[in-house]
Amino acid sequence: MKLDGLKRLGVVILFVQLLNATAGAILMQAIVTRELTKVYARIGRSAPASLDRLDLSIGESEVFGFLGRNGAGKTTSIKLICSLLQPTRGHAMIFGEDCRLPRARRHIGYLPENAYFYEYLTPRETIDFFGRLQGLDGPSRTKEWNRLAELFDLGGIRDQRVRTFSKGMRQRLGFAVALVGDPPLLILDEPMSGLDPLGRRLFRDVILKLRDDKKTIFFSSHVLGDVEQICDRVGILVNGKLTVQGRLDQLLERQIQLVEVILDGVDKQLEETLLRRSSAVRRSEAGTHFYVTTLDAGNELVRAAMERGAALVEFNPVRESLEDYFMRSQEAGRP
Amino acid sequence: MRIIAVAQNTFRESVRDKALYVLLFFAASTILGSKAIGWISIGQDIKVMKDICLAAVLMFGVLIAIFVGTTLVHKEIDKRTLYTILAKPMRRYEFILGKYLGLASLLGLVTVVMTVAAVLYVVALGGGVDLVFFEAALLIYWELLLITAFAILLSSVTSPILGALVVFSIFVLGHGTRILADLPRQFDDVAGKRALELLYYVLPNFSNFNLMREAANSVPVSGAYVAWAMLYGTIYSAFLLAAASAAFERKDV
Repeated sequence: MKLDGLKRLGVVILFVQLLNATAGAILMQAIVTRELTKVYARIGRSAPASLDRLDLSIGESEVFGFLGRNGAGKTTSIKLICSLLQPTRGHAMIFGEDCRLPRARRHIGYLPENAYFYEYLTPRETIDFFGRLQGLDGPSRTKEWNRLAELFDLGGIRDQRVRTFSKGMRQRLGFAVALVGDPPLLILDEPMSGLDPLGRRLFRDVILKLRDDKKTIFFSSHVLGDVEQICDRVGILVNGKLTVQGRLDQLLERQIQLVEVILDGVDKQLEETLLRRSSAVRRSEAGTHFYVTTLDAGNELVRAAMERGAALVEFNPVRESLEDYFMRSQEAGRP
Repeated sequence: MRIIAVAQNTFRESVRDKALYVLLFFAASTILGSKAIGWISIGQDIKVMKDICLAAVLMFGVLIAIFVGTTLVHKEIDKRTLYTILAKPMRRYEFILGKYLGLASLLGLVTVVMTVAAVLYVVALGGGVDLVFFEAALLIYWELLLITAFAILLSSVTSPILGALVVFSIFVLGHGTRILADLPRQFDDVAGKRALELLYYVLPNFSNFNLMREAANSVPVSGAYVAWAMLYGTIYSAFLLAAASAAFERKDV
């Protein structure tokens, strides 16, 4: 009888531990949205949902790329998560708390698309203002200014009014504002938009540094090369619906789709011989390009060419890129 | 702390706006020009000057309260500066209160500067000012606070032009509410009488803040009356700010 009681107690303890572990796993999610829907009301006629039942889960320290064409619903989703818009249905949670609660937004650093700030303030005053909104005391705000001015090279323009800033300078200040208070979650809406190559590189480097610092980064972008380089996972919105989300290495067909072999010293006779082993041929300044479908076929082609006196210039296995995948998903209207 | 941050920022924004100095220039010109009108009214010049100076404080204060107040929240939405602010751990009512207090601080500064300028001018021209002159200026400021609360409410729900028109109408009607209460007998059978009487109770009675005649004639006013008028203005403003916060709470920005 006593043993039964102990067994029961053991089962209860195990169940409670399991429950705690599950709750812990849920709390570890930086962003969770469930059935998040936004319909912009129009008087006298029904409107389609700008965002339709968005279910997202973004783990802590994850870098998530949010993709979609203009008007797909990316900015609407971000504004709902930041509680700038009221959802028609559904809800969003930030680190386990309702995003509408101010304490949930304490964890967020938000960079809107084309960030706007008070024109009559200087960068120093802007950072100070947002530091106060974040609840930082005077010495902490000074520290934040020094840190961010160095990170975004704002020291030289500290006393210049925002009114005189170029788009790139505004964007730098916007990113700095998002990082005030060192929040664990960064929500960046088109951060690379309108930046010159140097600005893009600066932003990419900062995002990579933040990734190394284990920050959670949720960002939308049209620059798919950057997304591919930076993100762990991506989600694609098509007409307000999330059509796919997953790890990049799982989504993209990473097997080799094509092998491009570039050879030098290929005469007409050799070209005809090699063409029998390849699917296509073209000439460029670099040499003669042959295309085969497998690595083995590529190796065979190179061996045959070199036996006949040709030289290998390049050997390029071609895999599917995020851009290819994105185009494929858009054209099909589904992944 | 967040309310104060927004208030200080609003104050700084307004102080750095050149339009404010244009208005202050015209206000100063009116105060200086009051001597000319005073000169026309033989033997009454100081009285008329005091009256015009206080009227200038009110009129230019009202212009600032309406034109700055009705754009305050709307401009933040229009220029998208609000995005980064509301994404911070801040409640929406804190933003509304911060905006209100920022503009209230600016109006306080403007009222003090204009009142001091008026007093110096009157004294320099051989006149004297009593306590009631300062009490009149204080109640003008309280009236401006109430108009600002109206302006903030309208700014949260509508465009600046419509907001300015509505607030200006309320300002004009609010100075003539007694007409609504004391309608002549021929109105007894008119269907709209009830509506006009209702308006009397709903609209603020700005005459409660008007001590200009007493100030010009140096007629003392009890402290209890001034306190009552301030309490009336405070309660009315608090109600309007609560309505503005409620309207802004679920607004999509």
